Amino acid sequence: MMVLKRKIGQAFHLGDDIRITVVDVQNGRHVRFGIEAPVEIPVHRMEIYELIQNENRAASDGNALAWFSGNSNEESNNE
Amino acid sequence: MNKALKQTGQHEEEAPPFNFPQGMAGFPEAKKFSFIYSGHGDIACMQSVDHPEASLLITLWDENRLGASPSLTREQVSCLNLASGQHPLWMLVLNPFADSAWVTANVRAPVAINMEARIGVQCIQTDPDLELRYHWIPQPDQII
Repeated sequence: MMVLKRKIGQAFHLGDDIRITVVDVQNGRHVRFGIEAPVEIPVHRMEIYELIQNENRAASDGNALAWFSGNSNEESNNE
Repeated sequence: MNKALKQTGQHEEEAPPFNFPQGMAGFPEAKKFSFIYSGHGDIACMQSVDHPEASLLITLWDENRLGASPSLTREQVSCLNLASGQHPLWMLVLNPFADSAWVTANVRAPVAINMEARIGVQCIQTDPDLELRYHWIPQPDQII
């Protein structure tokens, strides 16, 4: 892992398009970042993003289409 | 509800896929999805054109059960290419594999779609009270 030391107000780049600025450090424990990135780059807190990644993979599981094919007729019969 | 799902237009084989510029969480390289809808019921299937292993069941956001749909951030509006005052179609990703009795819905990360531009974004919500596995419908074999 690359480790960089930055002061409040200083920034670093990830490639050409992403700039991350240290906005504030609160109580020596919480760091606030300002993130500028293209709209096609999703920016999320890691723990939340990993939760959704895992849930999407579980929901897909390679069988969602088979489940749909097997149940769409049954679903319509129950309407 | 059926009418809204039919709007995805994927009943017509030549309909162009929907573009997901951010991909879907867990499938970052899957950017183009086709929607498959049988013409019946409330569930459709979105499948990546380039990575067919990425296939997800979806249904429409139900305001009667969940309340108003989420707000979009400025970045999401921009990514969806929504005009001022234009609203997206909100959908939920369903998980039929997590619970033996229920098909669950991911209310924490609904999908917003600009139907005109055919652009979609999965909008992850930060509210921890929103359920990852909301009991949506009973499993078909549980329906008597």
